Order: sequence, then C-alpha cells, then structure tokens
Amino acid sequence: MKTQNEHSRTVLSRRQILALSGGGAIVGLLGLPTFAEEAVAAGGILKVAAPSNPSSLDPATGGSGNDHSILWTMYDTLVEWDYEALMPAPGLAEWSFTGPTTLVLDIRKDVTFHDGTSLDAEAVKFNLDRNRGDARSNIKSDLASIDTVEVTGPLQVTIKLKSADTALPAILSDRAGMMVSPANIKALGEDTNRKPVGAGPWKFVSWADNENVIVTRNETYWRAGMPKLDGIEFRIIPEAATALRSVAAGEQDMAFTLPSRLKPVIARTPDLQEIVAPTLACLQIYFNYGRAPLDNPKVRQAINFAIDRSAFVAVGMGGLGEAAATVLPKAHWAYDESVADLYPHDPDKARALLAEAGFKDGVELSLGSYSDQDWVLRSEIIQSQLEAVGFRVKFTRGTVADISGQYFGNEKKFDGLLSLWTGRPDPSMTFSSLFAEGAFYNAGRGAEAELSSLLQQSRSNEDMQSRAVIFGGIQRFVMENALFAPLAFQFELDALAARAKGYRPNLLGKPKFNDMHIAA
Amino acid sequence: MIGSTKQNAILRRLAQAIPVVVIATFLVFSLLKLVPGDIAVTLAGDNASDARIAEIRQIYGLDQPFLGQYFSWLGNVVQGDLSRSLLSGESVGASIARSFPNTLLIVVLAILIALVLGIPLGVVSASRPGGVIDTILLAIGSLGIAVPNFWLAMLLVSFFALNMNWLPATGAVPLTTSISGALAHAILPAVALAAGGVAEVMRQLRSSLVEILGSQHVRTLHAKGLSPSAILWRHSLKNVSVNLLTVTSLLFNRLFAATVVIEAVFAIPGMGSLVVKAAMNRDFPVVQGVVFVMVLVVVGVNLLTDILYRVFDPRVAR
Repeated sequence: MKTQNEHSRTVLSRRQILALSGGGAIVGLLGLPTFAEEAVAAGGILKVAAPSNPSSLDPATGGSGNDHSILWTMYDTLVEWDYEALMPAPGLAEWSFTGPTTLVLDIRKDVTFHDGTSLDAEAVKFNLDRNRGDARSNIKSDLASIDTVEVTGPLQVTIKLKSADTALPAILSDRAGMMVSPANIKALGEDTNRKPVGAGPWKFVSWADNENVIVTRNETYWRAGMPKLDGIEFRIIPEAATALRSVAAGEQDMAFTLPSRLKPVIARTPDLQEIVAPTLACLQIYFNYGRAPLDNPKVRQAINFAIDRSAFVAVGMGGLGEAAATVLPKAHWAYDESVADLYPHDPDKARALLAEAGFKDGVELSLGSYSDQDWVLRSEIIQSQLEAVGFRVKFTRGTVADISGQYFGNEKKFDGLLSLWTGRPDPSMTFSSLFAEGAFYNAGRGAEAELSSLLQQSRSNEDMQSRAVIFGGIQRFVMENALFAPLAFQFELDALAARAKGYRPNLLGKPKFNDMHIAA
Repeated sequence: MIGSTKQNAILRRLAQAIPVVVIATFLVFSLLKLVPGDIAVTLAGDNASDARIAEIRQIYGLDQPFLGQYFSWLGNVVQGDLSRSLLSGESVGASIARSFPNTLLIVVLAILIALVLGIPLGVVSASRPGGVIDTILLAIGSLGIAVPNFWLAMLLVSFFALNMNWLPATGAVPLTTSISGALAHAILPAVALAAGGVAEVMRQLRSSLVEILGSQHVRTLHAKGLSPSAILWRHSLKNVSVNLLTVTSLLFNRLFAATVVIEAVFAIPGMGSLVVKAAMNRDFPVVQGVVFVMVLVVVGVNLLTDILYRVFDPRVAR
C-alpha cells in the first residue's frame, strides 16, 4: 500500500515536472536519445482495473487464463504474435525447423533479466526443462513433445522432439515461452509464486492478494525506446460495474474485458474511450459425447440446428459478438470457410433429426452453466431455443470453479456445459485441448481415429498454408460430427480514460499494454 | 472481591471461546469439503489432465484424509501460523492483517453513524408516540430497513462520487497512510452499511422508551414534580441503555457479515472480498483464517458487551 502511494506521488511530481519543462527533465532522467521522441513517449503510470487476482506470478505454476495480461508486463516470451491474426513472430528468439523433429532457437543477444543475469542459451534451456519437468509446473503437457533441449551455442538452443510438433513456436508464445530468471528460481526454491523476475518491459514491485499488483519500468529493456509507461498499477476489482465506475471517477485509467451490458454505461459516461474488438474467446456448449444422449451425432446436430446464433448475440451478448461457425473466428489465419453455413437456424430440421435419433417425443438434456447475471440470461436463451425443438432442458448453475469441476472433472455431471473457451495461441492447442483423446476439456475423453490422425498431422507440418488446410479438415470433422455447439465469439469491451493513449487490442483478447502511454 | 468475580467471568468467557473457534472452523472446513468443487482443478490450470489433477492433490496434501487436513491446519494455528493461500502462496496472516483494518473501519464508522443518528431520532419519536413526527420517522425507518444496502451504495456512488466528485467511488486507504484519505474512502460504504442500522437503533430505542415512559415508575417521577426533560434524559435513557447495548452489539456482528456485499460494490480489499474469493476457489486455508478471526471478533464483542452490561446495570454483576 505504501508503495502504491509512493507511486502516486511519483506520478504527480513527474507530471508537474513535465508541465514545467515540457518533458526535458524526463529526457535527462531516462537518458533517451532525442527530445522529439520523448515528447511522444511521455511515460506516466497506467492504473488498470484487473478482473481477478493472479493465480500466481510464476508462469509455470499459475493456471488462470486471466493471468496473462499481468504476466506479459514482466515476462517476454520466446515467440510473439501479430495482434490481428495471431500469426507467430519472433520474440526473444527466432526459430527454425532444421528437420521434422528438430527445432532451433536463436536467442536475441544482449537481453538481460531484471536481476542483471543474462538471458542466454543456458537460461532458455533451464526454463524449458523446468516447464516440462518440474513437479509444480502446470504446463508440462504443453511441452510433452519435447525429447531433449540442448545448448548448441551461447545463444542457441536445439530442441529435439519425440514427434513432429509445429505448434511448438506458438506454444512458446504462451506460458511455456515466458522466460524467468534461473538465478531467481534457484534462490527461491519451492516458493516461486510471489517474487517474479523476468526480462519483460516492466519489473515487479509488489503484489498484495486481491488488492494490487505493481510493476515499474525496466530501464534495461532490450527494445529501444520501450516501454513508454513508467509503471503499471493493477488494482484487482472483480466486480465489472465497480471497475467501470472507478474509471468513470478518474481513479483508474482502464478497465478491460467488461461485459457487454456495460456498453451503454460507457457510452453515456463523458470522456471515456470505448474499445470494442473481436477476440478468440468462443461461447459454446461443450458436449459430453461419451454417453447418451449426446453420444448420438444426430442429437448433437439437432442442438446445432436449434440454435439461433444471431438472436443469441443480439440478446445474450448485447450485440457485441460474432456468430460462430467453428471454434476460430473469421479473422483467424486458420479459419475454414467451408464450415460457415453448416448449421443455419432450422428448428424443423432439428426436430426431424431428433425423431431420426429415436426421440420423437423429445429428450431430457442436463446442462451446466454459471450463476452470474450474464450466464443466467444466456442459459435462458439457450434453454428456450432448445425446448422449442423438443429438448427438455435442465440447467444447473454455480460458480465457475464448481460447475466446471463437476463437468470436466471425475464426477462427469451434466450432458453439456454452456461456457467460454478463451482460445489458445495455436489452433492445434485449442483442438487438442477440446477434442483429443483423454483431454481434460473433452468430458467424454474419447476421440475417433480420423480426428486423432488429423490432430497429429496438424503438428507435423511447419508450412502455415498447409497447416491451414489441415485445420480446415479438423474444423469440418468437428462440425460435421457436431462435437460441440459453437455459439459466438465474444468481443473485447474496454473503457479507457481520455489520458490513456496508444492501446491496441489483440485477437487473443488478453490486453498487452506495451504501446501505451499517459498523455501529460 | 467484585474485581475477581469480573476477572473470573472474563476468563470463563475466553475459555468458552476456544470450543467455539474449533467448532466454527471445523464446520466451515467440512462445508468447504462437502460441497462440490475442487481446488485441485483450479490449481492444475487450463490444460490439466486427470493425472495432473491427481498429482496436484498429492503435492498440496489434498489427498490426505479429511480429518488429517483439518487437524494439521489447527496444529499450525496453535503455533501461531495461519498457513498460506493454496492458490497464490501469500501468508494468510498477511492477507488478514491487510484486509481486516479496512473492514473494521467501515463497520465502526457505520455503528457510529447508526448511533449518532438513531438515538436522537428514537428519542424524538418516543417523546410523542403516534404523533406526526413519530409516524414520519417510523415510515422512513421501515424504508431504511427495507432498502437493500448495495442498491443504496450504488445510488450514493452515483451522486457523491460520479456526479458531484466529492468522494472516491472505490477503494480503501489504510488509516496509517492518511487519516483523511481513509475516512474519505470509508464514508460512503459506511453510510450504505449504516442505513438499516440507523432505523434499527431508532426503532428499538423508541419502543423501549415508550414502554418506560408509560411505566408506573415514570408516573411516580411525574407525581414527584420532575420536569419531563429530566425524566427523559436522566431516568428513562439510563434505563434503556442496556437494551441499546444489546442492539449495538448484535448490529456490530451483523454489519461484519454485510460488508461482503458492500466491499464488492466499492472494490474495498477487506475481509469480505477476501473470504468470497477464497470460498469460491475452495482455498480453505484463507477461508479458515478469516473464519477464525471473525469468531474471535464476535466472541470479543460479546465479551465487551457483557462487561458493559455490568457497568450500565449493576444487577448483572450480582
């Protein structure tokens, strides 16, 4: 708390200095090259309302998809992606496949961690070995295809794979590619959650559970002229309406991933910038096709025909969504057009399919979902649309932890789950997580041979165009067999104060703050 | 002699607190374990396999027998260690030390507001029961109890923070950092929390006062020639002070529970938000720690009430 106040004092004094000297004082402080550049890159402290307490600040031991926006401030990744289509791009390293099962990483030179130790081949090997071997690592399965990691030069690591895995570069843009300081981890032992040292644009200052996370500028960041912000203060505000109020009251500069119902509030609040952008996050009904009644493809197809997706977007998402035909949005590089018109809203067809499946008089269907306002509304819409074609739907609602645990875990409750898939950097991660044999998010756990082989192929080809063709095949298989019911992609909705400049949304829907600055 | 009885009574009360703490924390622990949901699934992260979840259970000792987990927690508590959050690894003692003052400030402020407004209003009401002012105050009082405090909270924020920009809309500042900042942040949540309390203090005071003012004892005082104000202030209020104490101590305990909602509306990092987040994720060391502290608070408040009873009503001591 004390630190936070010290920070706010810093903001004030910096602003005052800036007002007095037009930025000249800061140029001296930061040693930046020219006056003109500094005028654009006026720093400032960004205050962000974050929707949840991080599960951990150690990328290997954390588990929540909400952590990334905070983790990326402190950790750079080996691989990055472009914001618009999520195509992988070099980050801390450039990659090349020198053979089907050999991936070479050439590491950028002169990169150091926040503790001053250098980010070299040894450090990368340490990270990859830890992520795939440490008992506390939650990302072992992401790196399961790696056989050995060898240091083949001061700045070169050669990864030998058990089997071809061309998803690996994209996987290295996620948790598995966030480089932590080996010296720090060795010093911390088991207690790695709360003292992060990375090589990202900002350094860790403090984390008070359910209260705040504070980071400050990394003066030795490898990208010239970056970061622009002197620091970021995340205040953890789980209640979205409260987060928005804090921005409206000028207490925070930004609230992200707001629910669509707050859009009118943003619109009528003066001086707020509204950001709306497509994301990979897909609202969908997961199916447990390992048992009746959803083991019957006709029943699953009937559900897909019964859903009126445009009505769902209009009513259940306040219009802030894109109707989904598969688990990838249209903007994604691997989206396959041939699945676009597979399931138009056709209640008659749905009834006919149910009758063919032997359920002429309808069938019971138990679904799980969550108990907050937005999910209750959505589940009511789905219930009415499914009941219109003969399903007798029973929804059970609870917290995310409860219901998801009951559905995906060993209890195997409910025939399906109305929920959200937040997306992954590489489509093969998405498809394997959702549909591969034994995968956690595949509640039935089974997979047909044809799908398994397609999933395998998607990882054994490194050319992006041919991978896109294979992903097309996977999407057709998944949708023709109706392994789930995609509903819609959620748009990102953020509210920013007028002084917060330079924010660029990305398709993953998890904000990065790298280009931002606070207007003086 | 009286001193030692008092001490004995206090010691007895403190001793009674021990089984209360054990039973309360055990009940909460059982509830957390019995309801569906599993922290191992949360801990295992997004891509967890069944095997990984089993591994997590083993790493965090979640595969230990139910009673074993409880008693290992209790054993640590006896040694002064509230252990750590399973999720974030923060020490529970540190979380509570940071959150508790925020919650306590709001509750104490709310109690003060309830008393400062409730007592005079109750006296005014009782001085002419059935009169115009009494009727109006009764109506407002009913409204005060009926209005949900989170709704009132949002109205308060909307006007005082967003429209007029007089007070902060969210957050909390510790008293140790800035007294004025702490009060500015706490005042709106305290008012929202106090609304029902004002009405309750007022109505309870009114009904006890009306009863006393109609008693034979007061008729005697009138007959003795005492002025009505002397009867009210010197004799009657003293008589209702015990009732007021009961109401206040019950209110205090209840307002602690009510902060769960108010803290969410104002994004105050207090005990309420701490326990909600922990309970949702089945982070039982944190829930247990909060319950433990709350039980101590309730027992402490009750103890203080008992002592004050003896001050206000010497008959209790006999």
